[in-house]
Amino acid sequence: MSNLSVFLKGKIGNLFLNFEHYFKNNGITILYGPNGSGKSTIISALGGFINSIETRIIFNGNELHDTNKHPPNKRPFGIMFQNPILFEHLSVEENLDFVIKKNQIKNQNKSSISKEYLIKHLELNSLLNRSPENLSGGEKLRVVLARTILKQPKYLLLDEPMSDLDIKYKAKLLVFLKNFNKKFKIPILYITHSIEEISQIGDQIVLIKDGKKIANGSVSDILNTNSFGDLTGKFELSSVLDGIVISKDHNLHITTLDLDGQKLIVPGLPGNFNNVVRVRIRSRDILLSLSPLETKITENELEGLISTIEIENNSAFSELVILLKNLKKNKNIQKLRARITTYNLKKMNLSRNDTVFIYISSVSIDRQAYQSM
Amino acid sequence: MDIYNHLSSDFTSILITLKLAVVTCFFLALIGTPLAYFLAFKSKKTKPFIEAIVTLPLVLPPTVIGFYLIVFFNPETPLGKIFILLTGEQLIFSFYGLVLASIIYSIPFWVQPLQASFEKIGRDTIRTSYSLGVGPLVTFLHVIMPLCKKGFLTSFIISFAHTLGEFGIVLMVGGGIHGKTKVIAISIYDHVEQLSFGKAHILAGGMLILSFIILLTLFYFNKTTVVRIK
Repeated sequence: MSNLSVFLKGKIGNLFLNFEHYFKNNGITILYGPNGSGKSTIISALGGFINSIETRIIFNGNELHDTNKHPPNKRPFGIMFQNPILFEHLSVEENLDFVIKKNQIKNQNKSSISKEYLIKHLELNSLLNRSPENLSGGEKLRVVLARTILKQPKYLLLDEPMSDLDIKYKAKLLVFLKNFNKKFKIPILYITHSIEEISQIGDQIVLIKDGKKIANGSVSDILNTNSFGDLTGKFELSSVLDGIVISKDHNLHITTLDLDGQKLIVPGLPGNFNNVVRVRIRSRDILLSLSPLETKITENELEGLISTIEIENNSAFSELVILLKNLKKNKNIQKLRARITTYNLKKMNLSRNDTVFIYISSVSIDRQAYQSM
Repeated sequence: MDIYNHLSSDFTSILITLKLAVVTCFFLALIGTPLAYFLAFKSKKTKPFIEAIVTLPLVLPPTVIGFYLIVFFNPETPLGKIFILLTGEQLIFSFYGLVLASIIYSIPFWVQPLQASFEKIGRDTIRTSYSLGVGPLVTFLHVIMPLCKKGFLTSFIISFAHTLGEFGIVLMVGGGIHGKTKVIAISIYDHVEQLSFGKAHILAGGMLILSFIILLTLFYFNKTTVVRIK
């Protein structure tokens, strides 16, 4: 288990950074916050590029914060900056070899990640002899990612890597990163603005605002909290549910998931039989009823118990947290967040501990946000 | 015999001029390159101040620079003593005096194109290289230098050409001593003064053609680079 403790305090430009966090897992940690909240600064500081503020960085027991003793080129991180750069005087393959040569990485070392592995999984074969000038955004990104990993970093820091990438590429790369992370046990710190990306690859999430950490925890815990809603606007609030694939209809292109005994039908064919698939459901896409509907408006009917009700001031809406019924009698309780009008809440006379029936249109389930685990 | 003497005298000036340009460019590379790097990446508050100093030789009359060189490198002054210690000669009327004057006079021509070239590749390229585990020296030699090839070429060519064309400062510091400090520009001046227009034509025409070829080479290889110096 790798652990990274970070403390940063000081003024950089208009931002007063006062950030402290202990990253303690081998998974993927998302760093999320509004523009200018200090996300990229944290990565720069980890890389050793900032020495004007108070810094304490301890990685696996080693103090790294002194930029004289640990200059940027002697740190164990692999960094992908926001505007990734390839060396234009070198071909794609030479860009990769540059890192291998300069770091004197030996191929016979079994634990090291080989160039061949990256060429295969990032589909770089046809790019190797090309010049960086002629690469598309997505191609360039794959090469930069491969080059960053070839350094054999102990921790990967990625600053909005997919911000200008089309959806098709994005999905592939996210799968690559997830698999890479699992296979090599190299933790990743991942900055993104995309809720789809968070729910698809994030394990842990740290929320930051105005240079301060405001919340942290597992993605499924944080995504439906108010602190997350404050950053994204309540409109984007959502819940992440884990389900096991129990059947697939290849003709109709739908997958049925088991959520602790209840069934959820989702569009597309994520995961394989018996895999755990994570789906994101936006709070605003949920309909509630106190009794099961006789005429079904959707196949997706879930049963749950209202655990909290928050009526928002000066707004038409209320937020409800519903605990999904567990028919399997294991202790796992999944939470679902619903956003309905206060008018509706009053009219239905909903209160705490009421049993409700939840209706979700399969169409509204976010297809980009599947994560097979 | 007379003609031969004149030709060999002009030939000597040509050799001195070329030697001066080569030696000056060598020292400019040593001094001007780190200065351009510093201006492009390191300096923050001091940048306008240093940039103004580096650009001064562009606007000052050569005689002003020549005058201060003579004043400050007078054998009586500490700087003058150091100069004698290093070169074995006093500054005035010596070849190394010419070199020093040329370095100062041409430094903006080395620094500015190179600085622009460094700024174009940017801090991000350097950060990327460092973050890939590559140290500052190797980054400079294997990343910055190849990427700034055109900048180095531009700096070299225009500094070289500019040194060939110096007149005022070399006359003032060097005194135009035949076989020692007399460069082409001064030879031409002498020929014209003696009304030997034929000999002046040969040297002036030679300079014209050489300078044109040098600049043509520069612009041919540098189609996209804008030379900042006017």
